[in-house]
Amino acid sequence: MASRKKILLKVVILGESSVGKTSLMNQYVNRKFSNQYKATIGADFLTKEVTIDDRTVTMQIWDTAGQERFQSLGVAFYRGADCCVLVFDVTAPSTFKSLDSWRDEFLIQASPRDPENFPFVLLGNKDDLEPRAISAKRAQQWCQNKNNMPYFETSAKSGSNVEQAFLAIAKNALAQQNSTVDLYNEFPDQIKLTNTQKPSGSGDSCSC
Amino acid sequence: MASNIEVEPGATKESVLIPSECLENFDHMSSSLEEIKSENNSSVGSTYEESNFVNSNTDNFEDAIDKEENGSTPEYDLGNSTEWTSKNKHIFVLSSAGKPIYSRHGNEDKLAWLFGVMQALVSNIQSSDDTLKSIHAGDTLFVFMNKKPLILVAVSKTGECVNQLTLQLNYVFNQITSMLTLTRLNKIYEQRQNYDLRRLLAGGERLIDHLLDFSEKEPAFFLGAVQCLPLASSVRDSISSAIIGACHKIKNLVFAILLAKNRLITLVRMKKYYLHPSDLHLIFNLVQSSESLKYSQHHWTPFCLPRFDASGFLYAHVSYLADDCQACLLLLTVERDVCDVLSEAKQKIVEKLRRNNCLEPINESIATPEETAVNAGFAEIRHYLYKCKSTAQFYQPSLAPPYSKEKMRLIEIYKRSNQQLHNTARPLKLIFERSANEAIFSWDTTAFELYVVFEPLIDIACAIDFVTKLLNWVKKREDKLFHLNAPTF
Ligand SMILES: Nc1nc2c(ncn2[C@@H]2O[C@H](COP(=O)(O)OP(=O)(O)OP(=O)(O)O)[C@@H](O)[C@H]2O)c(=O)[nH]1
Ligand SMILES: [Mg+2]
Repeated sequence: MASRKKILLKVVILGESSVGKTSLMNQYVNRKFSNQYKATIGADFLTKEVTIDDRTVTMQIWDTAGQERFQSLGVAFYRGADCCVLVFDVTAPSTFKSLDSWRDEFLIQASPRDPENFPFVLLGNKDDLEPRAISAKRAQQWCQNKNNMPYFETSAKSGSNVEQAFLAIAKNALAQQNSTVDLYNEFPDQIKLTNTQKPSGSGDSCSC
Repeated sequence: MASNIEVEPGATKESVLIPSECLENFDHMSSSLEEIKSENNSSVGSTYEESNFVNSNTDNFEDAIDKEENGSTPEYDLGNSTEWTSKNKHIFVLSSAGKPIYSRHGNEDKLAWLFGVMQALVSNIQSSDDTLKSIHAGDTLFVFMNKKPLILVAVSKTGECVNQLTLQLNYVFNQITSMLTLTRLNKIYEQRQNYDLRRLLAGGERLIDHLLDFSEKEPAFFLGAVQCLPLASSVRDSISSAIIGACHKIKNLVFAILLAKNRLITLVRMKKYYLHPSDLHLIFNLVQSSESLKYSQHHWTPFCLPRFDASGFLYAHVSYLADDCQACLLLLTVERDVCDVLSEAKQKIVEKLRRNNCLEPINESIATPEETAVNAGFAEIRHYLYKCKSTAQFYQPSLAPPYSKEKMRLIEIYKRSNQQLHNTARPLKLIFERSANEAIFSWDTTAFELYVVFEPLIDIACAIDFVTKLLNWVKKREDKLFHLNAPTF
C-alpha cells in the first residue's frame, strides 16, 4: 500500500475583489468562463489532479474572497498552505498596489517556517483587456524584489496561460512539500517507566 | 423497586482493568493533564441548530450532488456519488490546515474540497473564541472534534447522539496516536503545518476502517468494558501463573495479554501500571484486523497505548499460542530490541500451558458459544448486557432469535438505552420501555449497568422478577465469566 505515495497540495489564491480569482479557477478546473460577476463569499474549494514528472498530485485550491468584509477569515484559511497565488488585474492599478499588503498579511497569518523561501506565484489577469495600466515590466520588477517570484500574465476569459500558470504553481508547491525531511525517524519515543504516572482514575492501589 | 440490591456479580477488590465510568472523562488521556485543565476552563461549546451557516453548507452539499448527477463536474467529485451519499455515516479526519487524512468512504483526494469546507467551518467558529461541536440539520447530525493538531468529523444519520459520535471520533484519534504517538504527531505539525499525514499513516487506514466497523458492532465500546472468555477460575489462574513464571524476570515487560475470539483470557501487568479498557480495545482491534498474524510465527510492532502513555511507544510481541490453539498472546515492553527474549518466553509459556493442560479448556471455550438466555432458563429474556463497573468487564449471552439475523438492530437498541441512562442533561437510573417489538429494561446502579431485552408483552412485575433471578444467575457464575484476579509480574 505504501508504494503509491499520495500527495495533496494546498494552494491559496489571494487578491483584491473582482480581479478574477474565481474565474481563473473555473477556467482551469472546468474550462468555463462567465462574464457575470458573483462575489465569492468566504471561500470556495476545488480539487484538481495534475501530473508532474510522472507523479500525480492533487491540488486543493482555496479560492478566497477579496471583499474586505471577509478578510478576518484569512487567518484560518492560510494555515498550512503549500503555495500562495497572488492575483491582480492588469487594467486596475489599485489591485497591483495592494499586492504588498496581501503578501505581508499572508506571511503574518500563515507564519510559514521559512518565510523567505515560501513559494508565491503572481498572476496578472485580464490580459485580454485594454487599456493596460500595469506593464509586464513593472510587475516583473516587483517580483524580482520578492525572491524572484514567478510571474504569469493570464486571461481567465480566453484561457491563455492559465494551464501553464497552474502547472508552475503545482511545481512550486510540490518543491515545498518535498523539502520535508524524514520526520519519522527523528524522535526517540521510548517510554521511561519511572516517569509514567499511575493514570488517574485507577481505583485500587493496594498492590503497590 | 429494590434499589439496594446486594448482588454485584463480577465485583472484586482489585480490578485487572481501570474502571471506566461510562462516557465521562472518556476522552481524557493520562498524559494530557494540560488539556484537561484547559478544557475545564472553556467548556462552553456551541451547538448550532439549523443556522444560516449550516444551510449554506447543506445547500452546497446538495448543489454538489445535483451537479454530479447532471453530468459530472470534477470539482465536486463524490466518487460514486449516489453510493457515497447514501452511506448513513461518514467519518473524516483532517489536519488543522484542512488537508485530508482519512475518509471512511470514498477517495479523500477527490473529496479535498469538502475537507476545506470542514476546516473553514471549524476555524471560523474558533476565530470568535468558540468551539463548534455539532450541527443538527434534519435527520443529519454533524459532530466536530477539534483535537489539536487534528480535526475529526462525523456526519451521521444513524440516530446516535453527540456523545456517542464523539466517543467514536475519540477512538479514531487514539488509533492514529497508537501508530505515531501523540508527541510525534504534535512535533510533525509544529514543524510542518502543511504536512500530508497520509505519508506516515500509509497502511494504517486499514486499522481505522476496522476500528470503525468494530466499534459499531461491539457493545464493548459504548460500555467501556471488555468481555472475558469463560473459563474455570482455576484454569485462568494457572494460565496467569504460567505467564508470570516465564516473564517475571524480564525487565521492563509492562503487560502480558492473552485473548481469543475478541475475549480476554488474562492480563498480567507490572505492579503500579494499569491498562484502560479503551487501550485494550485498540489492542483487540490490532489483532482482529491483522489476519496475517495467524500465519506468521510472531510479529513485532511499536504500538502506543494513548491512555497509558501517549508520549511513547510500547513494543508488542504478538503471536498465536500454537497451531492447535488460536489464542493470541501479546507481550508489551518498553524495550525496543528484546524480541528474541520475548519469543523465548512465549515458548516457555506454551510449554507450561501444555503441561498443565490449559490449552484444551481454552479451545473448548473458544468452540462453545455462550448459552442463550432462553437456554439458561430465562424464557422471556431475549438478550442482555451486564456490565460490572468496578472491573470494567461485561457479559452477554449468545444472540437468539429474532436478533440472530438483526444484530445491528439489537446494538442500536442498547446504544439508545445507554444514551438514555447517561444523558448528560437528564441522567436516568431505571427505564422500562415497551415497543411493539420488545420490552427493554435498563438499570444503572453504582455497581453495575444492566440492559435486558424482553418479549414485548411481559408485565413489569414479571420482568423485575426475572432481573433478580438473572443477577443471581450471573453472580453464581461470576468466577467463570469474569476475570476476578489482578495478577502482576
Ligand atoms: N475580460 C476578462 N474578464 C474577466 C477575466 N477574469 C475575470 N473577469 C471578470 O471579472 C469579474 C470578476 O471575476 P471573479 O473571478 O468573480 O473575481 P474574484 O477575484 O473571484 O472576486 P471576489 O470573489 O469578489 O474576490 C467577472 O465579471 C469576470 O467575468 C479575464 O481574464 N478577462
Ligand atoms: Mg471570487
